[in-house]
Order: sequence, then C-alpha cells, then structure tokens
Amino acid sequence: MPDNIILSIEDLSISYSGEPAVRRVTLPIYEKKITAIIGPSGCGKSTLLRSLNRMNDFIHGVTQTGRIDFQNADLYAQDTDPVEVRLRIGMVFQRPNPFPKSIHRNIAWAPGINGMAGSVDERVEKTLRQAALWEEVKDRLHDNALNLSGGQQQRLCIARVLAMEPEIILMDEPCSALDPMSTARIEDLLFELKENYTIVIVTHNMQQAARVSDFTAFLENGLLVEYGDTDQVFTRPANMRTEEYVTGRFG
Amino acid sequence: MNRRQNLARRHRKSQLFKWCCISVTGFAVLVLVLLLWQVTVIGLPWLDFQFLSSFPSRFPEKAGIMSALAGTLWLVALTAVFAIPVGVLSAVYLEEYTKPTRLREIININIANLAGVPSIVYGILGLAIFVRFMALERSLVAGALTMSLLILPVIIIAAKEAIRAVPSSLRQAAFALGATRWQVVRAHVLPAASPGILTGLILALSRAIGETAPLIMIGALTYVAFVPDGPMDEFTALSIQIFNWTTRPQEAFHELASAAIIVLLAVLLLMNSLAVYIRHRSSSR
Repeated sequence: MPDNIILSIEDLSISYSGEPAVRRVTLPIYEKKITAIIGPSGCGKSTLLRSLNRMNDFIHGVTQTGRIDFQNADLYAQDTDPVEVRLRIGMVFQRPNPFPKSIHRNIAWAPGINGMAGSVDERVEKTLRQAALWEEVKDRLHDNALNLSGGQQQRLCIARVLAMEPEIILMDEPCSALDPMSTARIEDLLFELKENYTIVIVTHNMQQAARVSDFTAFLENGLLVEYGDTDQVFTRPANMRTEEYVTGRFG
Repeated sequence: MNRRQNLARRHRKSQLFKWCCISVTGFAVLVLVLLLWQVTVIGLPWLDFQFLSSFPSRFPEKAGIMSALAGTLWLVALTAVFAIPVGVLSAVYLEEYTKPTRLREIININIANLAGVPSIVYGILGLAIFVRFMALERSLVAGALTMSLLILPVIIIAAKEAIRAVPSSLRQAAFALGATRWQVVRAHVLPAASPGILTGLILALSRAIGETAPLIMIGALTYVAFVPDGPMDEFTALSIQIFNWTTRPQEAFHELASAAIIVLLAVLLLMNSLAVYIRHRSSSR
C-alpha cells in the first residue's frame, strides 16, 4: 500500500451504554486519499467516523477502547485537546446543517473565532469557489443560508469546513439527503478536494463508494469485514459477505 | 357503505371538537373583555395627570399613584437585573454543561416544583432572609430579591425549554468546526433560543409586576409619600396600592383602584411590546 498513513485506527471498539457498535476495528487512513466506509444501516460506520474527530465525546454513555493515532499522536490521550482535534479534522454531516445566518457568516465564523489570519472576504470567496458554490451565491452572500437549496446548503457546509483548512475531512453520508444532480456535483467536488485533503466518507451508496474512493472498508455489525483497494473490494472481494453486499444481495 | 358512515361520524366528531374549542376560547375572551370594559368604564374618568403625579391621600380627588408607579418600575428593573442573569445562566448550565445524571433530574424536578410554590411562601422567605437576616429592611432591594426568587423557576424553565428546542445539529456543526462550548453557546445556542427565552422573561416579569402577597409580607409600605431615590429606599408598588384602595369602604377609592389597574395593564402592555420589538429585531438580523 502506498503513501503515508495519516490516521491509524487500531483495535478500536466503541459501545453505547454497553451495547457494542464498533468491534475491534483496525484500519489505516491514507493521506490525500479518499477512504470510503460502507455497510448496512446500523453497522457502526457513523460511530466509527465520529470517533475520528471526537464527536462521540458529546454522546452520553459512550465507552471506547483501542487506539487512534493522528500523525503518530494518540487522538484520545489525556493531554489531547478535542477542540484542536476538530480544528484539524473537519466534518460534514448527513443532513446539511448551515447556521441560520448569512452565507458569508457561515464561512467566516469559525476562522474568526480561531483568529485565522488573512482577509475574511478573500477566504469566503476562495472556499466558496473550492466548494463550487461561488457562482451561484456571489451576489447574495449576505442572504440567510437557509434560503439555499439542500445541495447548495451541503456545499456551503463543505466550504465552511474548508475555510478552517483542516487536514482531514470526515463526511457522514453527505449526499443521502440530496437529489442526484446535487450528489453528482458533490462527487465531482470530492475529486478536486482529494488533491489537498484526506477524506473519509461514510456512505450507504455503493456506486458512490466505487466511483469516488481509493480505498474501501466494509463494516457489518461493527466488525470490519474487508478493507482494501476500492477496485479490488468491488471487483474481487476476498470475503463472501462483501461480495453479497456490494452486488446488492442484502443491506 | 359502512366505511362511508364511519367517515361521516369521524367528520362529525371533528366538527364537534372544533366547536368545543371555539366556544371555550370565546368564553375566555368574553370574560376578559368584560373585565377590561368594566375597569375602563370605572377607572378612566379618574385617570389624568393629577392622578399620575400625586401621592396617596385620604381624599380620593387628591390621591395619586406617583410613588406606587415609581416603586413598581424600580422593582421590575431591579428584579430583572437580579433574576435574568441568574435564571438564564442557570438554564444554560443545566442544558449545555451538565450530563444527564440523576442529580440533574433531581434539580430539574425541584425547580419545576418551586415554580408552583405559592407566592406568600416566598414572601415569608424574603422576610426572614433579606429583610431580617441580611438587614436590608423594607427596601426596594429586599423586594426585588424576593421577587427574583419567585420568578427564577419560571425563567429557568422557560429558558431551558427554549435552549432544548435548539436543534442539536447546530451545536454539532459548530463543535465540528473547532469551537469551544462557550463559543457554541454564545454564537449559536443563545441566539437561536433568544425568542423563547425572551418570552419567558416577559411572562416572569409580568408576574412580578402583579404580585402583591410577597410584598405585603416583607412589609412594603402602603402609604409612601415620596418617590424612591435609590435601591435602599422604602417603597410601595401599584399592586399594593390597588389592594389597599379596594379595602377602603369609600366607593371613590374603588374607582381609583380601577384607574390604577389601567396603569398597571399599560405598563404590562408596554413591556410586552418591547419584547415583541426586540424579538423582531433579533430575528430579522
């Protein structure tokens, strides 16, 4: 396998109030690649994703064992600041969740509170261009973001994450609430972002995983059934369950 | 046919329920209108500048509400200063900072219970703690602190509900961008919850304006022939003045009470309008 491992998940188990959701998963995440996590509903893929930027910290009753190393530093060490983790590992959610404020403010807020240098307007324009949204919203930057369509909102949420210049972007089924056109636009976007960012995407859309990702991990009942090169996972899966899933026989 | 009959019956039920609601609402509004009408008819002739600018008097034609009105305004302002920060911040703490433990449940239940405690009980508490123990005497501060205790549960409950109604996706979005809890609360939770919080504050302060029992308990005077200069002065309030006038035997004083009620309602209406204005301004931003 090529390149650098930016996130290394080792023997990770997560449970909600004793109910296991992720079981002993070991998984590498390669730098500037797209890793897709696929699997049937409730297989623990979102839980796994959320553990990567410590968003599970907010859920009461979550216990976790194992280790996640982010650039060789323990993500869950005592002296690791979760706020800093989330600055460096951004997240796009399943449902577009823009702030009920202006488009401009949606993007400018986080860089503002983190005291990032540089012109705010330039950053807003740059990230909106990166998210392929600029042309559609440049004349109404101070309109409320909730007036945008679902697909535009999701691209705004991506732009909002890009504005923080994170190293990794986590995406939790970012297209599941969107129509096919918007989905296609976001997939195009993923290819462009891959140049500069590491992306981990959870999806239950197999075609999407096959189209966009370099590596694919297949989870079932919290267990990592198969992990490998996307082409290999989809064309020559090593595991029978994987084959059944990717060919659509269940899930 | 059976299905059609069944449907017809369900429609009839639906209509019946609608008319139940309309008549009950209509009755409530009717009673309110009658009340306002009566108060207005009796009180309005007495309502003039002399009434607003005079102190209480043994002679109805010379009596006024200057000191009571000033006392009420002072009292509401001070109560707001004490109760709003404590109430809102308590709600923020309970909703945003504590984990859902049993202790939090116990605290929540107790706050809900406190909201139902009769106001006279708060009066006794105020008398014991603020007036006697802290030796604040019968001052505006003692009154405002007592009123604050009385309305704190109402504020906390309303603010908690408003904060809880803020979608968690909003918090998650902000946290995922590397915000601290305070930044999330300050920039997203409080603005989104502010209309609900504001409504709660107005309801609570309106209650404080109307309360009489705790003020009588802590000994707010009924005859005050001066406007309070500061928070440590003795005072009276509109509600006490109204109560006092209605206990007099002379008819004229009863009419004065009606006039004072009109003023009290006007103050309430003013506060509500202010809240609507603030809410409108904050939501259109």
